Amino acid sequence: MSERRVIESSLAGATLTSSSIESVPYDAVALMPDVKVLKVGGQSVMDRGRAALFPILEELAAAKDAYKILLCCGGGTRARHIYAVASDLELPTGLLAALGGYVPRQNARMLQMLLARHGGIYIMHDDFEKLPLYFRLGCIPILTGMPPFGYWEKPSENGRIPQHRTDAGVFLSAEVLGVKRAIFIKDEEGLYEDDPKKNKAAKHIPRISARALLELDLPDLVLERVVIEYLTRAKFCHELQIINGLERGNLTRALAGEDVGTIIYKD
Amino acid sequence: MSTLVQSDGRTHITSSLMRESLVDRRVIAKTHSEREVQIMPDVLLIGIGGQSIFDRGKEALLPLVDELAKARGTQKLVIGVGGGTRVRHTVSVAYDLGLPLGGIAQLVGAMEEANAVFLNALLAKHGSIVMQREHFWELPLYLNTGILPIVISTPPYHFWEPPSEGGPLPSHGSDFGMFIHAEVLGMKRVIFVKDEDGLYDRDPKKHKDAKLIEKTTLSALLANMPEELILDHQLFHAWKNARHVKRVQIVNGLREGMLARAMAGEEVGTVIDKGEANV
Repeated sequence: MSERRVIESSLAGATLTSSSIESVPYDAVALMPDVKVLKVGGQSVMDRGRAALFPILEELAAAKDAYKILLCCGGGTRARHIYAVASDLELPTGLLAALGGYVPRQNARMLQMLLARHGGIYIMHDDFEKLPLYFRLGCIPILTGMPPFGYWEKPSENGRIPQHRTDAGVFLSAEVLGVKRAIFIKDEEGLYEDDPKKNKAAKHIPRISARALLELDLPDLVLERVVIEYLTRAKFCHELQIINGLERGNLTRALAGEDVGTIIYKD
Repeated sequence: MSTLVQSDGRTHITSSLMRESLVDRRVIAKTHSEREVQIMPDVLLIGIGGQSIFDRGKEALLPLVDELAKARGTQKLVIGVGGGTRVRHTVSVAYDLGLPLGGIAQLVGAMEEANAVFLNALLAKHGSIVMQREHFWELPLYLNTGILPIVISTPPYHFWEPPSEGGPLPSHGSDFGMFIHAEVLGMKRVIFVKDEDGLYDRDPKKHKDAKLIEKTTLSALLANMPEELILDHQLFHAWKNARHVKRVQIVNGLREGMLARAMAGEEVGTVIDKGEANV
C-alpha cells in the first residue's frame, strides 16, 4: 500500500485531536487590539424601540471618530418566539441556532439604516476580514451577534436552546481580534445575583471574576453561560463589561474605558 | 394567535419564552423534551479520512470510490472528507506565526474543501455533487434523485472558534463537523473510513502492542479515553448530549470491502454505541 504523502511540519503525522503542539512555543498576535467591540441587546434595547435606542445611537455617532467600533446586535423577543415555536415542534438545537440567526440579522439591518448617515455598514461574517477597510473609511461596521455555527451548533445538555447565541458571538469576535474588553449594552446596571426584573431585591455585582461567578452557580446570568466559561481560558478578551444603555452617558464612559456597570474579568 | 405585550417598555410577542432570560436554567429546562424530530433518519453519513486515505493517493482512494459508486442508489449516503497533511501544515505555519485560534480555524476548512473537490472529480460520473453550506436544504433533492452529496466537513465556526480547553489549537475539526451534520439531521449512524482497523487503546502507528477496541460504548470510552484519538475529542463530548446518532463506526478503508460491509450494517472495525440515552 502506498504511504501517506506527508508535508514536513511540526504537526506532520499528528492526529490533531489534541489542542497544543508541545515542542513549539506559541506567541499569539493581537490582530486589531484597539477596536471597541459593542453589543446592543435585543430584548433589552432593540425591543424598547426608539425611546431606548435613539439616545444610544446619538452617543455612538458622537464617539465614532474617536474609536474604531464594531457594533453587534442581539435578537430579542422574536428570537424567543422562534425558540418557543421550534421547541414546541421538537426540532433539534442546530435548527434553533440557524433559525435564531434571522432575528439579530434583522436588528443589525435596522441599526445600519439608522446609522447609515454616520457611516453604518451592515456586514456579514464573510466580510470580517474587511474590517480594516471599514475602519479606515471611518465607518461603523454592524454585524449580527450570532456566531455562524448554525446547523453545526452542538446539542445542549438540557433543553434545546443553542448555547452559543449573540453574547458568545460578540465575545468570540473580540477574542479573535485581540480586543481586551467587550462591551454589552443592556437595560440593567450589569450583573445581579438574580433577575432584577423579577426580584427587585437582587443585589448588584460591580466586579467579579469569571471563576467566582461560575462558582456562585446562579440559576440565571446576565450573559450566556458559555461566555463566562470561555473567558476563563481566553487569550485576549479578558473583560466583559455590561452597562445600562438606558442611562445617558454610560456608553460614552464605557468607550472611554471607565468601569461603569459590571466587569466580569478573567482570573 | 400571538399578541404584542408592551407593559414594561419593551415590545414582546407572547410565547412560552416571552420576557424570559434564555440563560436561566429553569427556563432552558422548559424547552426540554424526550423526543426530537428526526429530519432525515434513513441517511448514513460516511467520513473519509484526509491524512489516512486522501494523502495516500489513488491506491487508497479509487477502491473506495468504487464502493461508494456501487452503494449509490441502494442507500442514502452523505459523504464528508478530512483535510489531511495540508491541514497540519496550515496549522503548523499559523501556530508559528502566532495567529489567534479563530484565525487558525478560519484557515483550515479550505483543505477539506479541496479534498471534497478531488473526490467529486472521481465520483461525478456516478452522480455526485459538492454541497455548499448554503445548499443545506437541497439534501433531500440530492438524496431522492440518487445523487451523492459531498458535504463541507469543517464546521463553520471560523473566526468564532471557541477557546479550546487543552491549548491554543482549534478543537472543532472535520470529524466533529461531520458528526454534528449527521446529528442535526437525525441520522442514526456515522462511519469513519481511516487507515487503521479502528480505534486502539494507543496510537498503533507508534505502539506495536496497541490493542484494537472492537466494540465499546460512549460511556465506557469517556470513562477511559485513549490519549491519542483517531477522531476529534469534541465529537465524543458533543455525542454525550446528542439525541440521534446511536452508532459511530471506524473502518479500515485500505482493506477492500470493509466500507461496504459497514454500510450494510456489519459490525466490522470499531463499533462505538451510544448505549444509554444520555451519559
